[in-house]
Amino acid sequence: MTTPPIDNLEAESRSLWADAWRELKRKRLAMFCLWVVLIYTGLAAYGEAVYRWHQAHDRTPAYQVPDLEKQYLPPSLFREMEPAREGESRVRQVARHLGTHPLGTDGLGRDVFGRVVQGTRIAFLVGIITSMIAIPIGVILGCLAGYFGGRVDDFIVWLYSTFAAIPGLLFILAIAMVVGKGLTGVYLGIGLTTWVGLCRLVRGEVMKHKARSYVQAAQALGLGHFRIIFRHILPNIFHIVIVTFTLRFPSAVNTEVIMSFLGIGVQGEPSWGIMIGNARLRLWQGVWWEMTFATLAIFGLVLAFNLLGDALRDALDPRLKEQA
Amino acid sequence: MERLLTGSNIRRRLPLSALSAVLLPLLLGACGHGPLLDQAADDEMVFYGPTPRIRGFDPVKAGDVASAHAISRMYEGLLQYAYLERPYRVEPMLAEAMPEVSEDGLTYTFRIRRGIYYQDDPCFVETGGKGRELRAEDFVYSIKRVADLKNASSGYWAFNDRIVGLDEFREASAGSEPTDYDLPVEGLHAPDDYTLVLQLKRPFPQLLWILTMHYAYAVPREAVEYYDGKQGRPLFINHPVGTGPYILNSWRRNYRVEYVRNPKWAETGRVELYPTVGEPGDEERGLLEMAGMPLPFIDRIVQLVVQDDSTAWLMFLTGQFNSSGISRDNFDAVVTQAHTLDPTLVEREITLAREPTLTIFYFGFNMDDPVVGQNKKLRQALTSALNTEEWVRFHNNRITRPAGPIPPGIAGYSEKESPFPFDLDRARELLAEAGYPNGIDPETGRRLQLTIDLGSAESAEVRQSVELFTSFMDRIGVVIVPTYNNWPAFLEKLERRQMQIFRLGWVADYPDAENFLQLFYGPNGSPGPNHSNYRNPEFDALYEEARVMHDSPERTALYLAMAEIVMEDCPWIFDAQPLSYSLTHSWVRNFKAHDFPYGMIKHYYIDNDIRRAWQARFAR
Repeated sequence: MTTPPIDNLEAESRSLWADAWRELKRKRLAMFCLWVVLIYTGLAAYGEAVYRWHQAHDRTPAYQVPDLEKQYLPPSLFREMEPAREGESRVRQVARHLGTHPLGTDGLGRDVFGRVVQGTRIAFLVGIITSMIAIPIGVILGCLAGYFGGRVDDFIVWLYSTFAAIPGLLFILAIAMVVGKGLTGVYLGIGLTTWVGLCRLVRGEVMKHKARSYVQAAQALGLGHFRIIFRHILPNIFHIVIVTFTLRFPSAVNTEVIMSFLGIGVQGEPSWGIMIGNARLRLWQGVWWEMTFATLAIFGLVLAFNLLGDALRDALDPRLKEQA
Repeated sequence: MERLLTGSNIRRRLPLSALSAVLLPLLLGACGHGPLLDQAADDEMVFYGPTPRIRGFDPVKAGDVASAHAISRMYEGLLQYAYLERPYRVEPMLAEAMPEVSEDGLTYTFRIRRGIYYQDDPCFVETGGKGRELRAEDFVYSIKRVADLKNASSGYWAFNDRIVGLDEFREASAGSEPTDYDLPVEGLHAPDDYTLVLQLKRPFPQLLWILTMHYAYAVPREAVEYYDGKQGRPLFINHPVGTGPYILNSWRRNYRVEYVRNPKWAETGRVELYPTVGEPGDEERGLLEMAGMPLPFIDRIVQLVVQDDSTAWLMFLTGQFNSSGISRDNFDAVVTQAHTLDPTLVEREITLAREPTLTIFYFGFNMDDPVVGQNKKLRQALTSALNTEEWVRFHNNRITRPAGPIPPGIAGYSEKESPFPFDLDRARELLAEAGYPNGIDPETGRRLQLTIDLGSAESAEVRQSVELFTSFMDRIGVVIVPTYNNWPAFLEKLERRQMQIFRLGWVADYPDAENFLQLFYGPNGSPGPNHSNYRNPEFDALYEEARVMHDSPERTALYLAMAEIVMEDCPWIFDAQPLSYSLTHSWVRNFKAHDFPYGMIKHYYIDNDIRRAWQARFAR
């Protein structure tokens, strides 16, 4: 009987991710969603760059400058073309027409397209930063509860049950009210309330792993608890974190939109929620574009993330693979 | 009534949800087409209308418009506004004549009309439920009630530090034992049943305006003591007993209120007449056709609390309500660019009244702030940077931009343009002179950044108006960062003087420039009404001189001088004077918009023939 060579083992462990990637690539819909998410990410990065540039140069970005002459312009496709400039070819004229305010303008004459793109930036900021708050809390508490059990477990279970018992949106609003309106309130509000689900998952998973032989071996070797938890167990359950991230990202964006719509979210920057809130006023007079495009932007992002999250879960779940 | 407003209150309404606008016709359709209101008997004159929630009918407690309206139908004061006359003038109501004022302006002697009776009510035990005659002592009692700390009256500001001994009475009412209303107040006494004497600490000519307000209405002591909420008796706040033209017939809180003509008037032969004098033009508008006829005309007033604006609007369009305001969302559909009524409404014989209101909205600078407070040029620059035309356009032409602190319609208003009208070049120049060339703050090397505080951000309209304001300032290179507070937090910051710029409005309590100019008087600084904490010894001296003067050309000259000082110093950016738009159906006659319309409904007249003809034509 020969022991398998060490490097072989490593190749095996790496292949979980490689497997998952192969699995994912096979699904056309999942790949499409991945591309959509990447495009959104690109837009968010672009939006952030635009924002930073204007901050650094101390200027006011174009998407913030009202122009009452251009109030409520419909999207290019739905409005009459401006007359051609002198010496302008037909093609150029059409291109210019399509390029100026392609999605119309809002009540202050600001470009809806520019604001939708900037809204992506806020959405991503919220998705990422709230994850950076919620995921560490969920993972750490889940690991501690699952690994130590006993009183620690009792306490943590009590804590998350309490959190889970409070209606989510109310809790978020309360936190945002305490911290103050604005992005900080949104981050903390969402971040501090959405770790419960992940914590539960991680706790169960860690309990399972605790009984496994590799953990017992590590314990027998006298390794410290925290080393066992974070160096040995955590990498084995990390796929849960990734799946949770993709699934909670869109729900965080949704929550932000609701908060901004209610007027306690983002202030002074274009967010999809604010756009929808503003657009509501004139919707019944036929000004549909601001509401429509902000809603479509959310819809696309949420759908893509959810489908991708589902696909990732399938790809990363070893049990499903065994069945296959 | 003192009211501080946020921008959101420019329209006193909730934002209309687009969805409800779409769904409501469907919902109403689903509920059948029957009118929600009963139909008037043939010759009965009934006024139907919407009302905001009424909190109660106690004159000392009401601080809101709806309750004040309700109260003014059932209670009356010594004086009232002459309905048709402009500029506004007070005339006697329960007083026999205007008061005799002593030489030094400190003692006011009123003769009370004889033969004025309260409505019949079980609280008048001595007379077996018959309403007793009004006595001068009732006014003494009523004003004491405003001063009573236990009543937590919203109207004490009107008498605060003005009547000799009243403040001491207020202090005495602070204890836990019931307030002793027999405690005499030196400056407030009734030598006999028909004489009332008021003694002031210092001359206060505006007292006459104050006495038209519901805080000074006559309340019978019997009713207050009888309706104590015990043994099945309702509380006084829910059971009005007054002398007015109407009595409360039924009230279902937050749903429906109905008033009927006070039978006591006919029983005791009390006669009030429709005015015979109006302002020029009233004759042509048919407002004097009923001159000298006995009031009130309308037999019954029915009002519904309608929470949703579009429902109220539909009820008006179908003729169920007699009058309506115009919400901002409806505005484009109702009023054309030329400020005339939309043709479809003209066809329905609806009339539009457009009047400036005695209200000023402003961006206030905190003069205690080291940046904006110490730098007059900076404030002038920001004032010049507000693009009047765009601002008015954004507000759908529902506002005009005032030049100074005194709105048109009251003495002291000047046609003169603001010394700092919209002018970008001038604004930039002033900004450079202020030490911020191109808006650059030399200390940081970046654009100057100022914070504006707002009372609420719930409505998209407020948010957008702030964004527009921000962009105006941005054009001269000043960055404005908005902070949206909730209302209590906003007030607290205001009182602690923690703001840099804030937006507020002021609704005149009475039509006298003094009411606006007090907002700049140094000793009135926060938590007083001078929230800018503006201090200017020259202004204060003029104010102290003018406030004790009766209406005269000299006083108007002082008002003008004070306004000029304020316009030069720019503690506020005067941004909006709202116009009120009201719509009435053709069958409502004698309607004239008034800044203080309380109790005016007794002048209205409903033409049932026109109403029936209209309904046959337009209502299904």
